[in-house]
Amino acid sequence: MPAPATTYERVVYRNPSEHHYMKVCLEFQDHGVGLNAAQFKQLLISALKDLFGEVDAALPLDVLTYEEKTLSAILRICSSGLVKLWSSLTLLGSYKGKKCAFRVIQVSPFLLALSGNSRELVLD
Amino acid sequence: MVRFKHRYLLCELVSDDPRCRLSLDDRVLGGLVRDTISRVHGTFGAAACSIGLAVRYLNAYTGIVLLRCRKEFYQLVWSALPFITYLENKGHRYPCFFNTLHVGGTIRTCQKFLIQYNRRQLLILLQNCTDEGEREAIQKSVTRSCLLEEESGEEELSDSGGEEAEAME
Repeated sequence: MPAPATTYERVVYRNPSEHHYMKVCLEFQDHGVGLNAAQFKQLLISALKDLFGEVDAALPLDVLTYEEKTLSAILRICSSGLVKLWSSLTLLGSYKGKKCAFRVIQVSPFLLALSGNSRELVLD
Repeated sequence: MVRFKHRYLLCELVSDDPRCRLSLDDRVLGGLVRDTISRVHGTFGAAACSIGLAVRYLNAYTGIVLLRCRKEFYQLVWSALPFITYLENKGHRYPCFFNTLHVGGTIRTCQKFLIQYNRRQLLILLQNCTDEGEREAIQKSVTRSCLLEEESGEEELSDSGGEEAEAME
């Protein structure tokens, strides 16, 4: 008996999602520097303000999670501001006179994609 | 074909204090606009706008300012103008604000707009003035400008073809 013809439906999403999610990690040149969540957000906003001014420092930026020990965070920004945020993180050089750098680990328009990173996969 | 295109912003400086307009200087104004762009749009905005930014025309009596900027970044300059709140000269601060009247591609279109705007302003002044001597002076200026309008109207019809092509860019 021939198999019934399979019917399938293809769904294509044209609309890009409103927000982009970034997983970032802050590295200092010398160890022993700690920041709490409020200071971390202040650092992000001052980076935006330096490069793009007061108008873009007011972009809706959220710090969704923050870990003080590893200084890593997940940020959410509206899609039109992604390029501005990423470029201002790249050009940020110091915090209170101490040299630091932002490492961007993952960027995705979907939050679920940040839960698994194939680069950190360890194969036995 | 390949040239740098500009936008000319025609603005009016509005202030309560009459001394504010007289202390207008093109270098002071240029510096003030650059500082405001740097504050509102950051180092990126300041660098992008400062290449083509210049004060082309300044009238201290009427407070009309013509700013030039590159076409790619004229919106950054335009959006920074409302953030200018005071004019500082020799230690005195005068609160003021900039009213943008017209954005044109060439100086000639801005000049045409300014002539029409000044004619309308003269008529408004005529309605509002209280003193008889002032009234006569304004009426004389209005009649003179109407005569000039009739003369230049015939000339403009022949030139307008070439000017419109320039103004479209």
